[in-house]
Amino acid sequence: MYLFTALFFFILGGGAALLMRTQLAVANNRLLSPEVYNQIFTMHGTTMVFFVMMPALLGISVYIIPLMIGANDMAFPRLNAFSLWITLLGGLLLYFSFAAGGAPDAGWFNYAPLNQFYYSFTKGIDYYAMGLLLGGIGSVSTAINLIVTILTMRIKGMHLTQLPLFAWMGLVNSFLIIGAFPALNAALCMLLLDRQLHAHFFNNSGGSALLWQHLFWMFGHPEVYILILPAFGVYSEVFQVFSGKRIYGYGFVAGSTVAIALLSFGVWVHHMFATGLGNTVNTFFAASSMLIGIPTGIKIFNWIGTMYGGSIRFTVPMMFAIAFLIEFTIGGLSGIGFSIVPIDWELTDSYFVVAHLHYVFIGGSLFGLFAALFYWFPRMSGRMLDEKLGKWFFWIFVTGFNMTFFIQHFLGLMGMPRRVYTYPDIPGYTILNFISTAGAFLMAAAVLLLLYNIYISIKKGTPAGTDPWDAFTLEWYPPSTHPGKNFDELPEVHSRQPLLDLKKASVNQ
Amino acid sequence: MFVPLVISDRLMHDTISTSIPLQSVLNATTKQAEEINSLTNWFFIAAAFIMLVVLTFTVYVIMRFNADKRRNKEKKELSRKWEIPMIGIPSAMIIVFLVYSIITMGHVLPDNDNSPPDLIVIAHQWWWEARYPDYKVVTANEIHLPAQRNLKIQLQSADVIHDWWVPSFGNKMDMIPGRLNYIHINVKKPGVYYGTCSEFCGRQHAQMRLIIVAEKNEDYLQWLSQQQRDVVMESATLPGAALFIREGCGSCHTIKGTPANGDRAPELTHLASRKTLLTGLVPNDSGELAGFIKAPHFIKPGINMPDFRLPDSTVRKLAGYLSCLK
Amino acid sequence: MQNKLMMKLAIGSEAIFFLAFILGYLHFWDQGNFQLQASTQLSASKSALYTGLLILSSVTFIVAEKTFNERKYNRSLWWMLCTILLGVIFLGGQGIEYYELIQHNISLSTGVFGTAFFALTGFHGLHVIIGLIIMIYLCWLIKYDYPGKQNSTIISTAGIYWHFVDIVWICVFTTIYLLPFLI
Repeated sequence: MYLFTALFFFILGGGAALLMRTQLAVANNRLLSPEVYNQIFTMHGTTMVFFVMMPALLGISVYIIPLMIGANDMAFPRLNAFSLWITLLGGLLLYFSFAAGGAPDAGWFNYAPLNQFYYSFTKGIDYYAMGLLLGGIGSVSTAINLIVTILTMRIKGMHLTQLPLFAWMGLVNSFLIIGAFPALNAALCMLLLDRQLHAHFFNNSGGSALLWQHLFWMFGHPEVYILILPAFGVYSEVFQVFSGKRIYGYGFVAGSTVAIALLSFGVWVHHMFATGLGNTVNTFFAASSMLIGIPTGIKIFNWIGTMYGGSIRFTVPMMFAIAFLIEFTIGGLSGIGFSIVPIDWELTDSYFVVAHLHYVFIGGSLFGLFAALFYWFPRMSGRMLDEKLGKWFFWIFVTGFNMTFFIQHFLGLMGMPRRVYTYPDIPGYTILNFISTAGAFLMAAAVLLLLYNIYISIKKGTPAGTDPWDAFTLEWYPPSTHPGKNFDELPEVHSRQPLLDLKKASVNQ
Repeated sequence: MFVPLVISDRLMHDTISTSIPLQSVLNATTKQAEEINSLTNWFFIAAAFIMLVVLTFTVYVIMRFNADKRRNKEKKELSRKWEIPMIGIPSAMIIVFLVYSIITMGHVLPDNDNSPPDLIVIAHQWWWEARYPDYKVVTANEIHLPAQRNLKIQLQSADVIHDWWVPSFGNKMDMIPGRLNYIHINVKKPGVYYGTCSEFCGRQHAQMRLIIVAEKNEDYLQWLSQQQRDVVMESATLPGAALFIREGCGSCHTIKGTPANGDRAPELTHLASRKTLLTGLVPNDSGELAGFIKAPHFIKPGINMPDFRLPDSTVRKLAGYLSCLK
Repeated sequence: MQNKLMMKLAIGSEAIFFLAFILGYLHFWDQGNFQLQASTQLSASKSALYTGLLILSSVTFIVAEKTFNERKYNRSLWWMLCTILLGVIFLGGQGIEYYELIQHNISLSTGVFGTAFFALTGFHGLHVIIGLIIMIYLCWLIKYDYPGKQNSTIISTAGIYWHFVDIVWICVFTTIYLLPFLI
């Protein structure tokens, strides 16, 4: 249900993106007025982060992690249901704003004092605050649920050091959610007090615009790691199974995840290098931001090391995982560029950032979601997704993605700012923007192909059997025949690849 | 009579008619940008190196260990010793870049030493106010500066957060209400440079362009002395000035030397000396000016200037008056 | 065991929520002249009295929990009612303080001190009210019989929440009432 919610909002958020790219296809375009465009780009960002990626990644986690650890359900099944419904409610409330006088239009990051009633007098931002508060409650509840499940419901013999990496990432990620969302909740409550009861947190008479930025980014930076860690978990599983080998350096991958989680709370000011906080503050956060690149680099290396010496099968999940290595390195390098403060001073708030964030969000998180979809679809539905359609989807989407966003690095270097509804007819701008728009439509076409694939596979896809990929972990163990229960019985666990051990044992008998 | 012609003309083709040459971050036109760009260039080289390494390893691995080729072969394990250079080399690179960036930061944006600024720029929704404190000059949107001098610019905001960004000048700096920020520039050559507001500030953020005219010192001083002069009230312009007040324009705009002294909108005392209107969107001629007064929300929809629904004759007279304010 | 872990994680999250409000309060210390405002407009001694009562309510809760586990249900109910009463008195004291401040023209909308003060204490008060509602439900659970009552962990779990509310108040009290005199 999480996945269907995410799909619904993905179509809305993606539609918003197409509208944006159409408006930006040519210079001085008058297709969309600034009022409309500003609502659409705000809703695009807010939807994709809070109501597509969060529910999708958490939804897969609450489905698969109990299976991986041999549990019959989540620790608090009713809380699980509550989390879903309140997330859906939050998203619907956010979109209701279109009918209530106007959607929020101050950007997904909603800076003060633009977010104050004086400057934004439609109710959109109030809906934004309430929708996100509800969604946030859902996310934190799911995180608590996941932690209790993983810590208390593991099958006998599965120590924490033997957790499949997807479960480990889920565990660390849940702590990140619990630590980061309260900062956003506090900021949103303060904002509602400002807008509804005339408090002075962020306004121009006594309030502080920077306070909003600090609180928002104290949430916002860990949030991007919240969105990528589950994807890292998916890749860890996919690389192992489709190379036919155990992960290279389990300890390094698990440990670097904890390092990333801890460091992620200490880098937020890198979103504020251009606000004039002084070079001492800038230096500290530059150092921490550069440092956080290292554990991520370790992981990339470990995944390549997993493939080395193995026997690689190029299934669709594996193709997305390999593409991720390249795309995420591009996104990660542009990110490290921003940790170099003078470069940030030149390029922040330009299309170079838009390029960077889409390379990590799409090339990192969304590709992970696609890999997870193709990998675990047989477990969730009993059928395989069509492999041929999947490969067409992969190539069309990856082509469109790179067309759209690689070009935006150049647009940023050429001085194009972000969050603009139009741009002047500067040499080169129109042709590059046009190509970028064309790529977006390619991605849309690919997504339609994916939707068709899902539909046709549910209706008459190849039946899957319990272990279609010859995998290592317990989610592929034969499921229970009783509804409402995951397993009837389970093997003993002595290593990180319990299913593989079982298969080897039965071969040897 | 020309007014209706101008308006219908504009409805028929592209309304934004100024042209801006390419403003690239990589084209350093200030000393600060030069310094930042050498750091940027080294970074691109380092990033390309890492990209090449990752790409090479990935392609090598997927080609060599393809399942079709490895059908019956044993699995190999990569030696764990590789972890050491893989952590060590990026760590070393990071330390080098950290030190290099600290040095560059210190040169480009030294910490504030309370010296008086040469120029104060106050950002508004959606225009720029420029004050020259030593000369008591206040102007708007077209900002003149002396080239080849170290300048300290104080950046403020009158409403929401804005950002001063001229791509070829190098770094940008936010303008935050309730806060004073500073930027230092030394423009290498005289010329006209373009920038833009670089922090989302509402409806017309996209069209809030910066126009910087860097001049030789003599030209700069000459411009300043012209800007310092109040408007001389001659009999020819008197009716225009009176009309300006009567229609309420003076409650938002200032024209020094007349009773018009509003401070919520761009200063207009020397409007005719500027090359463009509306933060660089259209050339400054009386046709464009008339078109704007007639329909303020056509080119820049959503700005704070109301549509006064003035009759064509009033618009014509106002445009004529303002075109004389050199 | 699972319930207690859940509650600890939940209060961990709420702790960061309160930390954000405390940091917000401190952010305005200089510019809002809080040193002067807090030391002159607020009465630390009166608030200390109510703080003491709130701490006492945590003690009574612990006794209620202990007697519940020893199956002395009537005693347990009595101590739980004491806890609720102490919580209500605390809220009453807070309410009187709010009223007096508003009379002196300090409220959420009058300036940054009012904003920060009322928001921080207000959210704490909200958590107290939620705690009291939970405790009324607990009274019901103590009084009436139901399967699984003997091994129930609900009281201990709720206890974690109530002690948390208490500890948050100690932090808030120190920040708002004591800090002007400490620095």
